[in-house]
Amino acid sequence: MRRRRLGALAAALLLATAPAAYGHQPAPAASAGGRLTPDPSLAVIRPAPDFTLADVNGADVRLSDLRGSVVLLSFIYTSCAAACPLLTQRMAVLQGRLAEAKLFPGPVTLLSVTVDPERDSAAVLARYAQAFMANPRGWRFLRSERDRLGPVLTRYDEWTRRLPDGDIDHPARLYLIDRAGRIREIYNLGLFDERQAFLDIQALLREPH
Amino acid sequence: MSRRIVIAAVLVVLVAAGAVFAEVCLSPYVKRLAGPEKFLYVSAVDADGRDNDFLAVVDVSLASPTYGRVVHTLGLGSAGNEPHHMGWSDDRTKIWLGALLSKRLFIIDVAADPARPTIVKTIDDISAVTGLHGPHTYYALPGRMLLTFLSSADGNPPGGMAEFTNDGELVRVIKNPVDSPYAYDVAVKPDVNRMITSSFTALRNYRKPLSQWDMKDGGNTLLVWDFKERKVLQTLTTDPVPLEVRWSVKPGRAYGWTNSALGDSIWFFGQGKDGKFSTKKVADLGKGCLPADLRQSPDDRYLYVSCFMKSEIQAWDVSTPDRPRLHDTVVAGVSPNMMHVTGDGKRMYVTNSLLSTMDYSEKFWVRLVHIGPDGRLKVDPFFDVDFTKFPSGSARAHDMLLN
Repeated sequence: MRRRRLGALAAALLLATAPAAYGHQPAPAASAGGRLTPDPSLAVIRPAPDFTLADVNGADVRLSDLRGSVVLLSFIYTSCAAACPLLTQRMAVLQGRLAEAKLFPGPVTLLSVTVDPERDSAAVLARYAQAFMANPRGWRFLRSERDRLGPVLTRYDEWTRRLPDGDIDHPARLYLIDRAGRIREIYNLGLFDERQAFLDIQALLREPH
Repeated sequence: MSRRIVIAAVLVVLVAAGAVFAEVCLSPYVKRLAGPEKFLYVSAVDADGRDNDFLAVVDVSLASPTYGRVVHTLGLGSAGNEPHHMGWSDDRTKIWLGALLSKRLFIIDVAADPARPTIVKTIDDISAVTGLHGPHTYYALPGRMLLTFLSSADGNPPGGMAEFTNDGELVRVIKNPVDSPYAYDVAVKPDVNRMITSSFTALRNYRKPLSQWDMKDGGNTLLVWDFKERKVLQTLTTDPVPLEVRWSVKPGRAYGWTNSALGDSIWFFGQGKDGKFSTKKVADLGKGCLPADLRQSPDDRYLYVSCFMKSEIQAWDVSTPDRPRLHDTVVAGVSPNMMHVTGDGKRMYVTNSLLSTMDYSEKFWVRLVHIGPDGRLKVDPFFDVDFTKFPSGSARAHDMLLN
């Protein structure tokens, strides 16, 4: 209960700051009075590289097994001080929107992959997921040891660089993958707007499959 | 764990509360420099076109014993390319550098050793890939690069844009509309979902000496796009040849400026309450200026204009965005061209080659202008990187990126 309350407090704090600034990045679309594109036509960027990683219960999750679902894939680490919790909170808001639209759990899957398996044990990652009220039926937090994770990060150009203070520098991207396993949008973490992502997901679900 | 998340949230609050200056005139998707610049990358055209073009690395780390000197050159392996503009990938690990006279495009890694960049990929015939020629602006999108092109593959209008993955695979091509066929710069304002492109001229014109140019063979339009859709919404008119597109750096502000090269003017563009954009001329730069570049201060207070023909750099106060006021001028040398303002807004690096068919000085350099707290400009007398004494001779210094 206490954990949930703290998580909610964290979420409230994060949401309160959202329009103001994102570290070094400008504020998201929320500050601009809703310049959203309701029915976007999203180009095919490239096939999403396949991977198999373990969830917090040790069960393998293979991306290609999710064909038929729209997948939103992010790369995070739990000790990240600013950007990752902000992103995860926005994904939590998106989870809520999708659930309201009866799309979650269901034809949409959220994946959060830790880039820091050394510090993010399965237990740590599970607690992180709980703090953001991730529904494990549709939002999976994934980790694997470096030898298995490394090639996945490489295929997504998700390099990591450990900084002197222990933080990890890594590209701030999220990937939206259609039901045929193709990357259709890449979001910048700092400029991610879950409202537009929701519309993008709806557009992909309307496509014939 | 929960405590850690709360701490993280508080940290975000603190970060949000502070004023954070950012590098301007870069795609908002590019990762920002965490500290002062250490290296300045300069695209360099072999002056007589006989030796290989290159990328010069200038040491700009104040504490370094080689401060202010070229410490490395990365040969591009061929001559006559006219390497021109450059752009960062979103993660700031790679520089895309293209050519205006050849069809080559270079992807350069600067992450492994920022002092000694290496070419990781060369696309030898970008026209075969895109149907376009003359990549100009390299604009990072998340995981991708958006490039403008000045011409079609045959050197004539229309130009257009092409989008690539970060490793150089084509995603899509977007040609300019028939009634607005000239292309040049692109800038995106993600928070209002708008993109604006500007218009120069095509290869058939700019490959000739300036005296032979057809001054009517160029654009006078800005295109307003739905960024998400990559769809033209409006065509706006300016004086001839609007070049740089500079959005206000303030979040949510749907306005900005462009410099008309042949109109010697600054134009303001902005969105009205009806959602439509309009333009108006807001500054006369003086006859014969030929404003080649337009830059901004990180606080959105000043615009900097390089008068290529008048050999002057002007600072315009845009506290009132549609009523610029001339604030200061400085002479850094003959034919100033590209400028690059640091993230703290205190320094501006300047080069002086525009295009081999347009240059009128044979002395090429990179110089430094200090910007005071009062917005006044002062040339650094000790920073003068001579681009005339390379082993291959003289080289035209054009675009710059900081790392």
